[in-house]
Amino acid sequence: MVDSLSLKSEVAAPAPAPAPKRGRGRPRPSVRSRREGWAAYVFLIPWFLGLFLITIGPIVASLYLSFTDYSLLDEAKWVGLDNYVKMFTEDPRFWASLKVTTIYVVVSVPLQLGFALALALLLDRGLRGLSFYRSIYYLPSLLGGSVAIAILWRKIFGADGLVNAVLAIFGIQGTSYVNNPDTALSTLILLHVWTFGAPMVIFLAGLRQIPSSYYEAASIDGAGVVQQFKSVTLPLLTPIIFFNLVLEVIKSFQSFTQSFIVSNGTGGPSDSTLFYTLYLYSKGFKEYEMGYASAMAWVLVIIIAGLTGVNFLASKYWVFYGDDSK
Amino acid sequence: MRSLKTAALLAVAAMTLAACGSGGDAAEGDGKVKLRFSYWGSDARQKLTEQVIAAFEKKNPTIDVVGEFSDWPSYYESLATKVAANDAPDVMTLEIRGLAEYGGRGALADLAGKVNVADLDQQVLSTGNFDGKQYAIPTGVNVMGMIVNKAALDKAGEELPDDKTWTWDDYIKLSEKITKAGDGSTFGTEYTFNQVYLSMFAAQRGEKFYNNGKIGITPETIKAWWANFDQLIKTKGSPDAAKMAEIAAAGVEQSLIGTNKGVFGMWWSNQLGTLSKVSGSELTLLRLPKAEGASSHGMFLQPAMHWTASSKTEHPAEAQKFIDYLVNDPEAAGILLSDRGLPINSKVLAAVKDKLPPADQQSLTFVDSIKSELATAEVPPKGGSKMEDIVRRYSEAVTSGQQSADEAATKLLEEANAAIAG
Amino acid sequence: MATTVSSRNPVLYRRRVSRGAKHLMLIGFGLVMLYPLLWMISSSLKPEELIFREPGLIPSEFTFKNYTEGWTALAHPFGYYLWNSAVITALSVVGNLVACSLAAYSFARLNFPLKKLWFALMLGTIMLPFHVVIVPQYIVFSQLDMINTIWPLILPKFLAHDSFFIFLMVQFIRTLPRELDEAASIDGAGYWRTFFRVILPLCTPALATTAIFTFIWTWNDFFSQLLYLNNPDNFTVPVALRTFLDSSGESSWGPMFAMSIIALGPIFGFFLAGQKYLIRGMATTGLK
Repeated sequence: MVDSLSLKSEVAAPAPAPAPKRGRGRPRPSVRSRREGWAAYVFLIPWFLGLFLITIGPIVASLYLSFTDYSLLDEAKWVGLDNYVKMFTEDPRFWASLKVTTIYVVVSVPLQLGFALALALLLDRGLRGLSFYRSIYYLPSLLGGSVAIAILWRKIFGADGLVNAVLAIFGIQGTSYVNNPDTALSTLILLHVWTFGAPMVIFLAGLRQIPSSYYEAASIDGAGVVQQFKSVTLPLLTPIIFFNLVLEVIKSFQSFTQSFIVSNGTGGPSDSTLFYTLYLYSKGFKEYEMGYASAMAWVLVIIIAGLTGVNFLASKYWVFYGDDSK
Repeated sequence: MRSLKTAALLAVAAMTLAACGSGGDAAEGDGKVKLRFSYWGSDARQKLTEQVIAAFEKKNPTIDVVGEFSDWPSYYESLATKVAANDAPDVMTLEIRGLAEYGGRGALADLAGKVNVADLDQQVLSTGNFDGKQYAIPTGVNVMGMIVNKAALDKAGEELPDDKTWTWDDYIKLSEKITKAGDGSTFGTEYTFNQVYLSMFAAQRGEKFYNNGKIGITPETIKAWWANFDQLIKTKGSPDAAKMAEIAAAGVEQSLIGTNKGVFGMWWSNQLGTLSKVSGSELTLLRLPKAEGASSHGMFLQPAMHWTASSKTEHPAEAQKFIDYLVNDPEAAGILLSDRGLPINSKVLAAVKDKLPPADQQSLTFVDSIKSELATAEVPPKGGSKMEDIVRRYSEAVTSGQQSADEAATKLLEEANAAIAG
Repeated sequence: MATTVSSRNPVLYRRRVSRGAKHLMLIGFGLVMLYPLLWMISSSLKPEELIFREPGLIPSEFTFKNYTEGWTALAHPFGYYLWNSAVITALSVVGNLVACSLAAYSFARLNFPLKKLWFALMLGTIMLPFHVVIVPQYIVFSQLDMINTIWPLILPKFLAHDSFFIFLMVQFIRTLPRELDEAASIDGAGYWRTFFRVILPLCTPALATTAIFTFIWTWNDFFSQLLYLNNPDNFTVPVALRTFLDSSGESSWGPMFAMSIIALGPIFGFFLAGQKYLIRGMATTGLK
């Protein structure tokens, strides 16, 4: 079936099915689809149990709480849309945190994904000792959420850190980048890029899903490395790129731990690293305004869901699935 | 349909799993009363606390105290979660900022008349009182003062100032001189945006931080306070704003005094021990500098922590007994010593005084010597737990030049007043 | 990559040079990436008082004291916490592998009523920030009487609570040609057999990814373990590590670094073992 792969064609649908075989040797579609439906739900039983037992309840509860004044320590009082109104009209820190987070997402997600993809390609095959390199390059991600990271980051971007030590060679005297409002966010973006291990691993796994016969076919057709990348690797990797993109956008909008650890939970200096969820967290647990925090959470859900929806809609134009048997 | 059967089996397995879980640890029928006790800290405190618990259980064999321990940054998050889920620990450790938040919302039991407080310092005891109810018993006290590295001061060719008379100007000028005398790696002083510092600064000018449900400090005071930092940074008496923020974030051990790179610093008296140890230098505690013409130094006794009991506890008598033991029994104090501040129980203190580590004896002597000048800590109202963050945030913005002092002072007061209004 | 074999020398030469350059680049860049880790390793081997005083990477004084002290500093030897973590992590890996792959197969391959709705809901559950569901979730587990047991930590895995992995596997399954299932179906295989015999083996990289990530994330997950395992006897590695630190007093940095390095061992080992499967995809299973 791979023979039908046409490298010359601009539309890089990788595996056009050689004529669908529906209906042959099968029960009638209606019976089949009913059976399929049943099977599908059976496969989903653990998930449904989880959904109704532990997932949906808390989600609905948080939605309800977003319309209340809730301190965690006493009863929730219904206040209607107050939290939402307050958020949009009289809370400059809400906007500040949204801005910080947006910059963070817009800059760090493409950087991190590009980086991860480049390394995955480099570490995929064709070189000795690759498994060693892969492990080495994954190591930073193991440290990403560790308490030690605050210290380590200061060791690099602090006033007496590595960066300034290097700059000093050239006679430049630097400041503390972690604690300067103008540069603090950039160091966190670098921290995010630095922990590129997870998307890299997913890319690597995705690269391995591409049958080597495709490459063989391509090289027989005389395609060079670049051409192979463009017409085989990239199109066949699109579902994985898409996955990484969707998830990284979601995860980066929720980014919390790194700023929490590096800034001691303050989002400082002067709110320059106040991530949305960090602000939400301090509203909920440090200022005892869980109702407000819940409202913030739902605004974030709407933002993320909107972006994810756009992502899914756009994916119709650039993501190619092996099961597209149209 | 074999496929379906297997999958169904899996699902059933998952459900039994859930069922197993619920039957897990319910039965513990040894007839003991289980008392849950939450606190924060590091491994050193955990060990001491486990020892105290063991000693208490030996005296009270029918009570089983279970310590619920967490690191500081996550303490309030996990505690608030448990309280919200109606699963509050019976005895909780709070600090003064949490008193109004928890007590004012009905989460704490009134301990008046339930715990023997006859031997406690009554002035300090009053910091556990909110809305006329004794929600908390202080565990011990600290004082925030100026810590000096005497040897480093000598090296810079300067003399120890007379702390009864020195002013903020003296302090800033002295810091500048010390930095200049060094090779550029040592500084005269480090500074902090601690809200307590601002409180003391304001008290010298006759202003209270909280005054009848409002913020009692004036914009002028806040601006004068910030002007001091600006002056220190400008004259290089202290590091620049970014570097100082980094040092402040790194904690006690990497502070300027702790690393022998600074001469002055404002710290709590219970941090003297750590600072002395990591710096390896002999350190001295001084009174704060005063505002020109001020009658007091504005310093006060701050309760280190509070013991409280949950209002929902099923075992109030046992909870009270445990708290009573912690504050009144010399045996408990003999184990905990000054881990949770200098003891405020006069009898207990007399019994353990000689066992305290040298740094804490030094603090104790200092506190005793200025006792008559010390005020009592203010109990922050509901919303007071936001104050530390507000003060720090605007101070950062001003010292790093992002906001003008005028604008920041107005906004700070606006936000602070709104925080305690609700 | 396999271009046509050429016997001309310049090509071979050029290839060797470019390979050497690649190695150099990878090593050089790797060192930069690893600097923080190297710093941590070096600090764990220094006497504690030198950690913050001595800037260089190479310790002027070697000592294993941080390791021996760190191992025994807490209420239990550190191995005890490693074991606690290992139990929770192993069960989580199994749970996620089983539950998420089942759900993923259904979403990726089968058609059923309301599929789009459930799929959207599945994705939607990862969009809500964790912090606002902590309290209600705690209530659920406290109602189930599971506080202070490991159930709140592993039950969600067995019930496919991690939508991340479901979505991951859906995407991988969807890269597989549909003809495989159809061929299996013609051979008379039911859904279960197709899933087990055809889809799962071909998804080894996705399963390996799931296993590796579950392992790492569970191993490092701090807050839920702190919240649900109150009793210090149940503490896990990340919780134990933080007790070395004291935000207002004296922290044991040396032992903390030393034990952090030790705690990296199992996850790194698991990654090393798992990456073998990570790269065992369609490319190497000889699917023609």
